[in-house]
Amino acid sequence: MKKELRVIGKPVPKHDAGIRVTGKAVYGHDIVLPGMLHGAILRTEHPAAEFTIDVSQARKLPGVVCVITADDVDVNNIGYKRDHPILKKGEANCTRDEIAAVAADTKAIAQEALKLIKVKYKVRKGVYDPFEALNEKSPQINKFISGKFPNKNIAEVFHYEHGHLEEEKKKSAVTVTRRFSLPRMTHTCMGTSNITASFNKTDGKLLLYSSTQVPFLYQRDMAHALKMNPSDIRVIQPVIGGGFGSKLDMHPFEPICALLSIKTGRPVQILYSREEEFIASPTRQPMIIDLTAGADEKGNFTFREINIIKDNGAYTSWGATTPFVIMQAFSSLYKVRACKFDATAVYTNNVFAGSFRGYGNPQATFALERIIDLLADELKMDKAAIRLLNANEKGEITGQGLHFETCGHKECLETVIEKAKGKRQKHVASGAEPAKVENPRFKNGIGYASMLHVGGGAKIYRSDGCGTTSKIDPYGYCTIITGSNEIGQGSETVLAMIASEELGIELKKIKVINTDTDVKPWDVGVHASRTSFVAGNSLLGAIRILKDKLNKKASELLQTNDPEFEYSDNKIISEKTKTTIALDKVVREMHFSEPNELAIASFFYEPSSKFQDKDFKGNVSGTYAFASQAIEVEVDTYTGNVKVLDIYVAQDVGKVLNPLLLAGQIEGGILQGVGYALTEELLMHEGKILNPNFHNYKILTASDIPNIHFYPIETNDKQGPYGAKGVGEAPLIPTAAAISNAVCDALGVEFLELPMTPERVLKAIHENK
Amino acid sequence: MDFKITSPKNKAGLLKAMQEGKNFRFGAGYTDLLMELKKQEETSFTIINLAQLNDKTFTEINTISGGLRIGSLATAAEIVNDKFITQHFPALQEAAHSLASSQIREVATIGGNLCTASPSGDMACALMALEAQCEILSANGKTRTVPISGFFTGPRKTVLQKKEVLRSVLVPLLEKNRKLHSGFIKVGTRRSMECSVVSLAYHIHLDRNDSIVHAGVAIGASAPTIRFAKTACDLISGNNLKTISQKDKEEFAAKVVSYASPITDIRATAWYRKEVLFNISKSIFE
Ligand SMILES: Cc1cc2nc3c(=O)[nH]c(=O)nc-3n(C[C@H](O)[C@H](O)[C@H](O)COP(=O)(O)OP(=O)(O)OC[C@H]3O[C@@H](n4cnc5c(N)ncnc54)[C@H](O)[C@@H]3O)c2cc1C
Repeated sequence: MKKELRVIGKPVPKHDAGIRVTGKAVYGHDIVLPGMLHGAILRTEHPAAEFTIDVSQARKLPGVVCVITADDVDVNNIGYKRDHPILKKGEANCTRDEIAAVAADTKAIAQEALKLIKVKYKVRKGVYDPFEALNEKSPQINKFISGKFPNKNIAEVFHYEHGHLEEEKKKSAVTVTRRFSLPRMTHTCMGTSNITASFNKTDGKLLLYSSTQVPFLYQRDMAHALKMNPSDIRVIQPVIGGGFGSKLDMHPFEPICALLSIKTGRPVQILYSREEEFIASPTRQPMIIDLTAGADEKGNFTFREINIIKDNGAYTSWGATTPFVIMQAFSSLYKVRACKFDATAVYTNNVFAGSFRGYGNPQATFALERIIDLLADELKMDKAAIRLLNANEKGEITGQGLHFETCGHKECLETVIEKAKGKRQKHVASGAEPAKVENPRFKNGIGYASMLHVGGGAKIYRSDGCGTTSKIDPYGYCTIITGSNEIGQGSETVLAMIASEELGIELKKIKVINTDTDVKPWDVGVHASRTSFVAGNSLLGAIRILKDKLNKKASELLQTNDPEFEYSDNKIISEKTKTTIALDKVVREMHFSEPNELAIASFFYEPSSKFQDKDFKGNVSGTYAFASQAIEVEVDTYTGNVKVLDIYVAQDVGKVLNPLLLAGQIEGGILQGVGYALTEELLMHEGKILNPNFHNYKILTASDIPNIHFYPIETNDKQGPYGAKGVGEAPLIPTAAAISNAVCDALGVEFLELPMTPERVLKAIHENK
Repeated sequence: MDFKITSPKNKAGLLKAMQEGKNFRFGAGYTDLLMELKKQEETSFTIINLAQLNDKTFTEINTISGGLRIGSLATAAEIVNDKFITQHFPALQEAAHSLASSQIREVATIGGNLCTASPSGDMACALMALEAQCEILSANGKTRTVPISGFFTGPRKTVLQKKEVLRSVLVPLLEKNRKLHSGFIKVGTRRSMECSVVSLAYHIHLDRNDSIVHAGVAIGASAPTIRFAKTACDLISGNNLKTISQKDKEEFAAKVVSYASPITDIRATAWYRKEVLFNISKSIFE
């Protein structure tokens, strides 16, 4: 019989909520070490230029301890393709390019020193359009790549296919081709990028206080960059002021800070200003997606043919690998018989993108869900019906080999369609009555979109695992030492809840240790919505072993051979003999009486997922998450402003572990999605960012928040802890697509790009007249 | 950013600081000034801090004969919550309410909004439609009054002389309990923390039969300064608000737009600003 859960599923507030709201949390910006210097970075003035540099005056400034350029350091390139020099030598290719760095006694002196560095530029004409970069006549932008591809400006290519494309084309009753264009969006973390490095000259060890999302990969990357041994680098994570994927890559400022500390033998701190954060932190990939899709006369999807050009910027980051995820959406979201997918990342002199919540999926889903509406229009079919007809199903193994052991897609769709009922689509092709028009100035519309995303990690590294050590002390407190880390998503809280559930220890007696690579076991990092799933399973494994030990001792002490103990209320209870013993007493007996054993256990969890083969086929995740959204908008045809009225969201979360934290992920994600749809775009001209501030880079405010109606769908996946799946990225993925479909529905126009700013909407209305 | 600051507590202290100061700037809520100072590395001037000034003509909102006196240090929040303003000058109340965010509104002053002379100043735009008067105090203790239509001399420029401070704004009340059609329309990308891309303030007096007795219409963010759309106002005077023809509405909107000479910048193109200004001008009759 299934036990009733006591803690899991309850709205437990975030573990760290108190310190966060009272300002007691120690962020990287709050760290002060004895003798600490302040670092600052000089970036190029021109995104494409040759330069010579003279730092002699800066070195002379009193208070300046160290100035470095590429000539002063012996390092390796960084980046996913190792095509990115930490300090650029003689040639700048991007507005972010770091060309010198200073360490000084104060921030003001460091800034002053930057001004004393003399740089002579020979400005070149940059290449800012990826299509131009593909032209044979264009110069080679990145000189550090191996030349694996025929075109010198190609950084990476992806090719995938399944099914019989040509046959399916013939079987299609309708075919639609469109080009979609997606903007640069940036993470706008509340805490700007920061690092404090402290090199100890006596033992040669480097201590880093860093906001990375992936401490163990970071340790290895840093070691490679600095030509050190990874284990001589200790990474400690202070409280992190927002990640959203931005801290998956190691960025040049981080090894630069380490180098300044190594050179000076003193701790050095680099903090970004907000402007620097906009200019020098990564973005979501801008891309052009050419998509052709077909359906048979009944509306079944026949094929999709995709060609994507991604603006890679001047260097390659993890962002270049987003096609891994993009192709999953195209190959496997809704049943589709054939798919051919090509993506090319092209070097330009623009800023480079990184990873960002959704990892390419918002872009893919925008194109895919827009084209589904267009196919429905061609077929004169209802837009909800065509989606229901093609929705994924439990047990399905997709063309790419993704195995949906549980699948809430249909239920998600049915839920949001039902909840949004009455909000009738305006442009109904199937001949049904459209909703009544009340005020001709304001036009309402409704749009649908779904998404598919990994929900049980993603095996893109050699291991997608997570280690945990768990112990109970003689006072009955439990400590969880987990490989995973907290970047604000709430995984600490969920882990504490799991331990509380399993061990019957109250939450305030549970501690989570997760910030120190010298202490915690290995984990691949926070990404792919994986932490609660992977770290949760890992913790459950450790607790299982721990309980075996405790059970053994409890049996001895209670003189029962009952293996079925109940852990509750800080006690171990034998149901059979109705006897009870305090948990801390059992632990003390273990420790202090022979054979003297600790109440401690370790476990390494590796998801059942498989590494994909060279054709990108295979079951890459432990489980998959689905979500659907139905969104109603009101468009002001006088100003072009889009007001998002109601968002109905149903998401297959497997199992609700904590409704409060889940709602936080859903609402936060959706709002990022609304920003992607309507307002957020880093504007660029010839490689320079025009709006590096919150005044003109517009994230939405509290007053813009729509009504969000959330319906969790529980499919209880046996792979997940208590049946749970990853939830973090999903809520943002279909939002822009659904809003765009709603705007098109309201106005009868075709939107193929984001964001739909008031000006673009007004223009579309005019062109449609 | 480093600067000297002096905080006079009363009028005498203020005048003294103004007389003695060679190179100074006033600071009220600092929501504009701090931004400006952050951009400069060194400042050679002193800040005369008005925030601690205890002088009713600067700080209070009071009725006077013929209208309302609003001290230049009245904050946007105080204006939003003022019952008299809400009742008699809805355009100003709405403009103050549309400014920035509630946190900024607690400190941003009406005087600062005028003296910063931004073409997109929201309260300034409403005051233009209300045909307010600006009461200016000079270091020698004398005051002079200029109509708001003459207050702005260019983007970020006003008629204020070196040793002058804006003391109050006087808003005329034509007739108490007059029927009004008054409001403020702000166009931007988001609903708060937004600098107007285009704005329109209108304050229209009606008789019992909804005939337009007097109209004040001003536009913001559409020209180097906030502008009063005189010919548009003249056009609708005498018309009936309820029955005004489509043709007149559009002619009115076209006249309003004729005062605009907007720029294209990263927030919007000139095309968009004109187009929207036309649409929202028309909308005040809908
Ligand atoms: C985030 C943000 C959002 C904003 N949003 C808006 C908005 O939506 N709409 C809008 O209109 N404005 C907006 N502003 C601008 C600003 O808040 C307003 O203009 C505000 O009214 C300025 O008032 P203040 O008291 O802060 O002025 P201060 O910053 O103290 O002063 C502004 C200028 O006026 C001068 N000055 C101030 N008082 C006097 C006086 N009595 N006599 C002579 N000179 C004086 C100062 O020397 C300075 O040059 C925003 C500002 C910020 C920071």
